[in-house]
Amino acid sequence: MRQKTSLHPSLLPTTLGGQLRRQAPSYAGGLVLLAAYQYAQYWFDTRLSRAIDAATHDDAALASRLGAMLIGVAVLSLGVRVLSRMAIFNAGRSAEYELRRALLHQLQRLGPAFYRRMPIGDIMSRATNDLAQVRMLLGFGLLNAMNTVFGLASALAVTLSISGKLTLAALATLPPLIIVMFLFARVMFTQQRANQEAIGAMSAAVQSSIAGVRVVRSFALEEEEARRFAVTNADYLTKSLALARIRGLMFPVMQTITAFGSVIVLWYGGRLMLADELSAGDFLAFFRALMRLTWPLIALGMLSSLIQRGRAAFIRLAEVFSAQPDIVDGPLPAPSQVRGKLSVRGLSFSYYPGAEVLRDVSFDVEPGSLVAIVGKTGAGKSTLAALLPRLQPTPKGHVFLDGQDVCDLPLSVVRNAIGYAQQSAFLFSTTVGRNVAFCLDERDSDDALHAVEHAAKSAQIADEIAFLPDGYDTIVGERGVQLSGGQKQRVALARAFLAEPRVLVLDDPLSAVDSRTERAILDVIERERERHSVLLITHRVAAAARCDTILVLDQGRIVERGTHDELILSGGLYAKFAEEQRVESELEALGSEPVTTEEVVTA
Amino acid sequence: MTELQTTRSSRAPSRDDAGATKRPRRGAAATEAALKAFHEESALGATYDMRLLARLWPFVKPYSVYLWLSIGLGVITAGLALARPYLMRFTIDEGALAKDSDKLFLGGLLYGGAIITEQLLNFVQVYTVQISGARSMADLRRDVFAFLHGRRLAFFDRQPVGRLVTRVTNDVDAILELFASGALNSVIDLLKLVGIVGVMLSLDWRLSLIGFAAAPLVALLVMLVRRKSREAFRAIRAKTAQMNANMNEQVSGMAVVQAFGRETAAAQEFDTINGAYRDANIASIKYEALQDAAIEMVASICLASIVVSLGYRPVSFGTVVAFNGYLLMFFEPISALAQRYTLLQNAMAGAERVFGLLDTDEVDAPVRARTSEYPPKDESAFVFEHVDFEYKKGVLALRDVSFAVRPGEKIAVVGPTGAGKTTLASLLLRLYDVTSGRVRVQGHDVATLDRTSLRRRFAVVPQDVFLFPGTIASNVAVGDAEPDRARIEEALRRVDAYDLFMRRPNGIDARVDERGENFSAGERQLIAFARALYRDAPIIVLDEATANIDSQTESRIQHALEELMKGRTALIIAHRLSTVKSADRILCFKRGRLVEQGTHEELLRAGGLYAKLHRLHFARSEDALSIPPPAP
Repeated sequence: MRQKTSLHPSLLPTTLGGQLRRQAPSYAGGLVLLAAYQYAQYWFDTRLSRAIDAATHDDAALASRLGAMLIGVAVLSLGVRVLSRMAIFNAGRSAEYELRRALLHQLQRLGPAFYRRMPIGDIMSRATNDLAQVRMLLGFGLLNAMNTVFGLASALAVTLSISGKLTLAALATLPPLIIVMFLFARVMFTQQRANQEAIGAMSAAVQSSIAGVRVVRSFALEEEEARRFAVTNADYLTKSLALARIRGLMFPVMQTITAFGSVIVLWYGGRLMLADELSAGDFLAFFRALMRLTWPLIALGMLSSLIQRGRAAFIRLAEVFSAQPDIVDGPLPAPSQVRGKLSVRGLSFSYYPGAEVLRDVSFDVEPGSLVAIVGKTGAGKSTLAALLPRLQPTPKGHVFLDGQDVCDLPLSVVRNAIGYAQQSAFLFSTTVGRNVAFCLDERDSDDALHAVEHAAKSAQIADEIAFLPDGYDTIVGERGVQLSGGQKQRVALARAFLAEPRVLVLDDPLSAVDSRTERAILDVIERERERHSVLLITHRVAAAARCDTILVLDQGRIVERGTHDELILSGGLYAKFAEEQRVESELEALGSEPVTTEEVVTA
Repeated sequence: MTELQTTRSSRAPSRDDAGATKRPRRGAAATEAALKAFHEESALGATYDMRLLARLWPFVKPYSVYLWLSIGLGVITAGLALARPYLMRFTIDEGALAKDSDKLFLGGLLYGGAIITEQLLNFVQVYTVQISGARSMADLRRDVFAFLHGRRLAFFDRQPVGRLVTRVTNDVDAILELFASGALNSVIDLLKLVGIVGVMLSLDWRLSLIGFAAAPLVALLVMLVRRKSREAFRAIRAKTAQMNANMNEQVSGMAVVQAFGRETAAAQEFDTINGAYRDANIASIKYEALQDAAIEMVASICLASIVVSLGYRPVSFGTVVAFNGYLLMFFEPISALAQRYTLLQNAMAGAERVFGLLDTDEVDAPVRARTSEYPPKDESAFVFEHVDFEYKKGVLALRDVSFAVRPGEKIAVVGPTGAGKTTLASLLLRLYDVTSGRVRVQGHDVATLDRTSLRRRFAVVPQDVFLFPGTIASNVAVGDAEPDRARIEEALRRVDAYDLFMRRPNGIDARVDERGENFSAGERQLIAFARALYRDAPIIVLDEATANIDSQTESRIQHALEELMKGRTALIIAHRLSTVKSADRILCFKRGRLVEQGTHEELLRAGGLYAKLHRLHFARSEDALSIPPPAP
């Protein structure tokens, strides 16, 4: 496979023109090959005509010589034709590959503002369907555009050399053919879209019916659901048959129009033969040339809709390419060493104007210290956590790492120094071991395996991994072993441990972990506090109690701060949380007590 | 299922099992292979199977008239196609070369007429086969959907929704492709091939031999290319699936990639897959191009050979022209066969998955024959008799539960999390079957009732209300084919929610989004109450919401609850003091057992589990409601 010199993804052209220029050598090659192929076709038809005339006029020797040459040209044509397709289609595929590569690079640069605006399904449809449309344009579309020009030239060269009048008569069917093809392509496109929408509506109906299966059962709605489904099912049937009609009609209509051309040639050509104005060989050559014209003309009709769709698809891609990243590297160089003192000064933040999530938040996390942030759902805890490593657009001048504004530092420095693990842990569908080793370049060396096991032990997940079917090599994913919520959280925690950041921001990473395991994890964190300071966001008082400082966040403000004992004494919000959780754990204990015989009433 | 989740922690291995961590790790290469198998698994597999076709037949049968019509027309169009070169020969030889202008005109007329008739019939042929396909697949789809709603709830606990949706939509569509692609034309193609050979032989057997001499060459070439291109096609399918999966994962996990600064490594991983996808496609381009080009080449060589032989053994010019036509037609079906094979494979894979689903058992609430003894005369609304129940073998969720409820009685069920409260409601409606014991509703054992007639006796308000996409009105009148607007409005008024929803644009016809996301938890609750009222069933089953509900809707809900219970039997899984206090009787559950029952006062006096629960939970929840919001 010819491999083009690999460019850094940021340098790849992301416009249609840019890609055309970049793949220009392939296109030029394809152009020459197509011209050669069509010339060979011209050559074949005219020499065939001469060979037939020679054969019918008792010149077998000449016919044989010409026949041998025809066979040679036929073999040659095969090679040229295959190479021309390869050159142009390969260029289309290469363009698709590069555009997709550039697309991922761009997606990696874009921040939360973009992902809030564009859902994953939408991005995926651009990365697959739209890109495929663009590729169709750059491969199939371009090939046919070139081929139509040369094919027309080659066929006309044959027919005009035989008879101008006959050519004119035969071409009478061309304009209607092109117009009809153009119309078909347009209608088909609309029908296809209607078809897609109908199947989408049907999927949605099935989806909601199955998602709500409990209600369906409880209310005995099966018949009603079947009725609702029947409506979408019937609609899809109508739409798919409409598409089948238009598809089924296309070739017959086209063939019928070309049939008129053939009949004209047969009649008019036959008359010319009758008058000895046309030789037998010329007749066959003419007929073949006419047949050869059909496909390029069909393609011409399709080309217009191909261009239309390709351009529309490209505009959708351009929306991604032209989006401005909201979080970018700062101007300062990477510092030689990071101590890991984190300071937050007067930080306020809102996702939408007028709806402040954080108001004037200030605190410090000294190296080696443990700080907890406690608060109700919606108090702004997670937003705060995401702002520290600049996973959200942190405003300038409020968050400092070793005294330097995080917005002035390179992103990689900030994110390597400030690790982050969150409640809804996202794991990749690879093995457990590789998920833990996510931040390592070399994930399969002995050192890596060692580090993975150590991190897993720290996160109190090592013992459970050992019990998975393939241990660390067990694949996590939809069809693989289903890890429980708590297991996923701990795998994600091990991943964060392994990265060895200076500051570890843990956004409620233990919500699905039982309290005994949570205690063991906190033991490890305490033991290893010299390696990384920890900012623990939690709703559990028992976990917060073990930290040096506790900050209580309420409606975006820090309303209390101090040690556990101080806050309990002060009797504020924190003390109220503590009381609530004490009662909850008592209730839980009540539920798990065994039932004594005297408790059971006789029915 | 909360009952299930509580048992999960028992699975965690104990700490002294550490020896198990010494399991040898498999190598990187083996991991790669396993990952590859994991990602590509569903892309491959499934071979052609007569049994699957046999199972498809009952669906096609009602529309088989279209199928037969299509096949009949197929034979006719094949015949017309065969006649085309022959008519051309006639026109040239008898007309043009014999200098007979009448025959020339007639020949041209017949030739054009044959093509137009052929194309007209061709359209009808293609369309009728599509009708039989699309209609039978719509029926199959309807059956699969109905089948799903005939499964018991436990079936859905294990199946991801997305997979079931795929069975109904994409998999059935894959079978439809069988009809759409003209795969059924293969038989006609074969017939046509025989016809071509026959006509060519009858025209001039020696010239035919030149054409047939090339046939083995073409067959060999096509076979070689076809194998290669089939492999390439499979590779493309696998790589496409892999690339889409990876892209999806890259985008879904973007926050993690960015948080760990792993953009470059992630891009490299994707690049490998993206490159493999491109290469797989590029590999298939040559085979596809080769297939068409090779057939063109062989046809050209045959024609050249015929012309050469013409020099030594003259035949009529019309015959040469006809041979030119037949030769092109001769190689067409061979190349079509290759493409149809892959579609056939796809269709069979789809059929296998669909019928695999239809083979699962797990019927929802099958009606059992009444036991021989005549059911005891029973005035109760419903009764539990020594009921044991387990979701999972060996883990009892309910143990020896017995109680009876009089018509019109209001029962509150209380107990700590995991006590089995929700399970009671599930068994009452027979969403699950009891492990032992019996549940009777209005005198009938639930196992002997038809599921619809059983469940129509209940109106259920679950804790987490599910709304269907549609409107407020359609959600209130759910299950009613002809919703009665007056009754919908009345139901909403009685739960004191009418004015609340009328404030929305479109009022009670306001749109409900997927899963009711555009309604608050309290509003969803109110719609569920109205739904229950509209249904007007004799027994109410209500799982009180524990979720945060704003105080404004809270008071409405309180009122709605009273309205709902008026004149009905009610089983309420209670979380509010006001509800328990107003109940006629309280059943107190703990770890699947009924441990106490009585009125609020009686149980408080007894000083047992309820008294503790009251102190810890109910009294507090009442506090929470009565506490005024903190002063600013």
